[in-house]
Amino acid sequence: MSDYRRNGKRKRSREPRDRYLPVPRQLRENLLSIADSPLAVPAKQAQEIATLLGDNFHDEQIKNEFFDLLVRLILEQPFKIPFAAAVILYGNDSKPEITTEALNRAGERLQEAFNAGHWRDVKLLVRFLACLQRLFEGDGVIPLLDKLFDCAVDLQSANENDVVGLELVKIILLTLPYAMGYAETSIVPQALELLEKTEIVASMKLPIEELLESYTGSTDEKPVHYLSVIGLLQLQMRNEEAHGWEFAILPPFPKFISQQVDGQDAMVTTPTLHPFPSLDIVSPVNAGPNPLFPEAYFSLYADQEVETVPKTDDIAASLIRDTIVDTINILDFNRDAVATLLVNMDSYWHPETFIKRGMPFDKIRLGEVEEGKSTWKPEDMVLDGIFSQIFTLPNPERKIVYYHSVITETCKKAPGAVAPSLGRAIRFLFRNLDVMDLELVSRFLDWFAHHLSNFDYRWKWQEWVEDLVRSDLHPKKAFIIAAIDKEIRLSFGKRIKKTIDEEFRYLITEGKEKEVPDFKYADDRTPYAAEGALLQVQIRKKAPDAEIQETINVIHVKAADAGIKDVLIPSTDAFVTCICFIGSVSFSHLISIVDRCKERLLAIGQQSEPARRQIIASIVAYWKDQPGNAINIIDKLLNYTILTPISVIQWALADHLGAGEALAESWTYEMVAKTVAKVTNRVRQIVAARLQEGLTQEQIESIDETLIKEREGMRSYFKFIDDAASVVALGTNDAYIEKVTNGELNAENAAVIKAWGKRWQVVFQRKAHVEETVVGEQAVDARVKLLPTKMETDLKEETQNGNGAMEGLTIEEIE
Amino acid sequence: MAPTTRNTVDRMDKPSSYAASKNKRRKYNRDGDDGDRYQRERTPEFEDKLRDATTLYVGNLSFYTTEEQVHELFSKCGEIKRLVMGLDRFKKTPCGFCFVEYYSHEDALDCMKYIGGTKLDERVIRTDLDEGFSEGRQYGRGKSGGQVRDEYRDEYDPGRGGYGRALAEDLEE
Repeated sequence: MSDYRRNGKRKRSREPRDRYLPVPRQLRENLLSIADSPLAVPAKQAQEIATLLGDNFHDEQIKNEFFDLLVRLILEQPFKIPFAAAVILYGNDSKPEITTEALNRAGERLQEAFNAGHWRDVKLLVRFLACLQRLFEGDGVIPLLDKLFDCAVDLQSANENDVVGLELVKIILLTLPYAMGYAETSIVPQALELLEKTEIVASMKLPIEELLESYTGSTDEKPVHYLSVIGLLQLQMRNEEAHGWEFAILPPFPKFISQQVDGQDAMVTTPTLHPFPSLDIVSPVNAGPNPLFPEAYFSLYADQEVETVPKTDDIAASLIRDTIVDTINILDFNRDAVATLLVNMDSYWHPETFIKRGMPFDKIRLGEVEEGKSTWKPEDMVLDGIFSQIFTLPNPERKIVYYHSVITETCKKAPGAVAPSLGRAIRFLFRNLDVMDLELVSRFLDWFAHHLSNFDYRWKWQEWVEDLVRSDLHPKKAFIIAAIDKEIRLSFGKRIKKTIDEEFRYLITEGKEKEVPDFKYADDRTPYAAEGALLQVQIRKKAPDAEIQETINVIHVKAADAGIKDVLIPSTDAFVTCICFIGSVSFSHLISIVDRCKERLLAIGQQSEPARRQIIASIVAYWKDQPGNAINIIDKLLNYTILTPISVIQWALADHLGAGEALAESWTYEMVAKTVAKVTNRVRQIVAARLQEGLTQEQIESIDETLIKEREGMRSYFKFIDDAASVVALGTNDAYIEKVTNGELNAENAAVIKAWGKRWQVVFQRKAHVEETVVGEQAVDARVKLLPTKMETDLKEETQNGNGAMEGLTIEEIE
Repeated sequence: MAPTTRNTVDRMDKPSSYAASKNKRRKYNRDGDDGDRYQRERTPEFEDKLRDATTLYVGNLSFYTTEEQVHELFSKCGEIKRLVMGLDRFKKTPCGFCFVEYYSHEDALDCMKYIGGTKLDERVIRTDLDEGFSEGRQYGRGKSGGQVRDEYRDEYDPGRGGYGRALAEDLEE
């Protein structure tokens, strides 16, 4: 761990509090660091800040900077919202203007966020206001929540598949706890009224949710049932009623901190009340920049024998999770700061919420914890939050690798506490691999290999030794094989061999340790060995095209004599195998050879589709021990349009399918998924080009034409995949029937293959569905309608931009 | 009053002080606090060059790390358009750095944030926004052909050719 040197940065040492600092900096630092230390008394800190602010309130600059920072803090560090509110609560006692200013700022920002459909910002600002509930006249935040609910109803009645309305309901349900927890006068009746209204929306299940489940398979196999975030929230709020609306995890802010003034307690006064900031809410609301999907609640630790995180029916689960996830997603520009906040996470809740950091799991399991005290482990809570993002369907907010890096940083900060929890997470995931959604398995795999690559490839492989005897088709064995392959990709065979237990080493075959795989034409027994060997020399020496053609002609003649119908197939095999062999030095070598041979490679596919697929077959055959390289090469050839998406999909799911065994290979999935992603990205880019403002009629027509064509292409690929996978799932493919009949496939493996078919189906049905919500006719039409109609005079200038974007798109595609 | 644009925590997707100083030709006060450097104003020229940067300089690689390994890790942030390995000027062998070019600026920034400072081939690598690769920059600029930093390094680094080369020569003499 010592080789991580914090990027060479020195840790800023905390100087004593009484050092001299200019007031603005004092305010900034104190506000930013509020509640960070587990030893601090946040209520006291809040009060100190309030006092300092109050004393300098006449200074416009100080005031401005402070409130800018306050709003920033609310939007960037949601853990600290209650503390930011506490500053205002205390400030209000001596200087109600502080509250007025805070409400103005927050209100303005809230209006902006609302207009733009930035729902997370809306949620966080409303939460801040909810924490100030006791300072408001009348019902405070409640009327706003009512209005939000009305907006949700409008959306829902306009579209039964609407998700923005669900988001609004989520905001309502996540705001109520703070408002109720910090209210002075009870708002229980109002809250109950709201909860009655949200009930229907929260208990709905949209059709797409079927495709968003983390675990597939029959219900009794699933480790966790599908839980929608808002359904859960609704239930948790109902349960909280039984606890007397205690919301026990919220950090407490005593209304008055005993202030000794001349040896006497300060006078207790009634706070000045303020009107709730007025907001202009227009329905239907702006849906926001990103497509939304219903959210599922994912947990690796919840509802198990030992309660190391809140039960899923406890409102604490949602409140803490929401804050963790927001912190992670908002601060993606500084993972180090995120990890610090996460490691300190327990400081931002009621001090009794969690058990001591780093408490060994076994101690909790064996009941060595004081009776009646919390057994929630902060580390489990944090990891659960990070993993919930890695395992978000269809996609989390940030690139998956970001969440990898957050786990890495968290481990680096608190290795002793986090590593054992991480081990338990991995065990849980591995145990339930068989029924996990396939896309999520692939994310688990990527994370696992990448994570180990950051920690000396240390893992207790011995735990999985019993799974080695399984068939390679079994999900657990397939995972082990794929994990080792991924580790090798980030490192190299010999190194990884040293890091795994003896029993596993046979998986790293001799071929996987070779940097340059054998060239099959070097072996005389290979058909066309002489021609293949000659071709290799010719390509290497950059022989003129005519010479190369001559060699290829020889193959064609021989093949025709041998009765081969499509002679282009053996010649393509030779040509591509040679390219792979010569290009095995490095990826850039390969690319430069492909560049040189581009014309010939392009011509192959134009003459024969089977020969085009032979290109793929030859690449995969050459790199059979290191499929990662094959996938990269194929990906590049797609850019060159030497390969087409359908050729890759057909090769994988027809030529290569067998009885369906291919579906168990992680790399086959990776290849298909990557190809599909390329297609869907392109269609999305076209849609983005269409949604530019100020396009000319001509441009619109041209883009629309491309869009229609590409979208149809995309749909046909999805259809092909679904058909192929469904045949496997039903067990109706010929090769399968044959192998089952002649006993080559035993009953167990046959069943496993069918299950793979089903799992592939779910993944690609989901992807197809998701794309329809983004690039389907309905979705695009709806967004086109929102485009402002431009004035004629503006058109000229905009035209050029439009052209540029389309060109950029085509260029990228060709490159 | 213009609102402050500072985030509540520093950003990791800014050019490093090295890139900044190199381009600015202005010496920083090295006593300064690291965190503060980012907040100082830079010359607009430099900002412009990197505003749409899609290329990253990647440093502290092992000499043995291959293109494929770099590719495997860096493609986690987006499709890679071009990868240029840094080579020893004389020997034409990898000398511990490379340039990774993405298709989009966004991907390059994400790479700074998510991959810079993590490990590749069991070494903590450094990433920096770069104005773009140009021919010639793939070669080491050190006296003996590799990177300057490897000339006088007095720590033994098996992944980067042992002791510093100039140092090793001096020792031999």
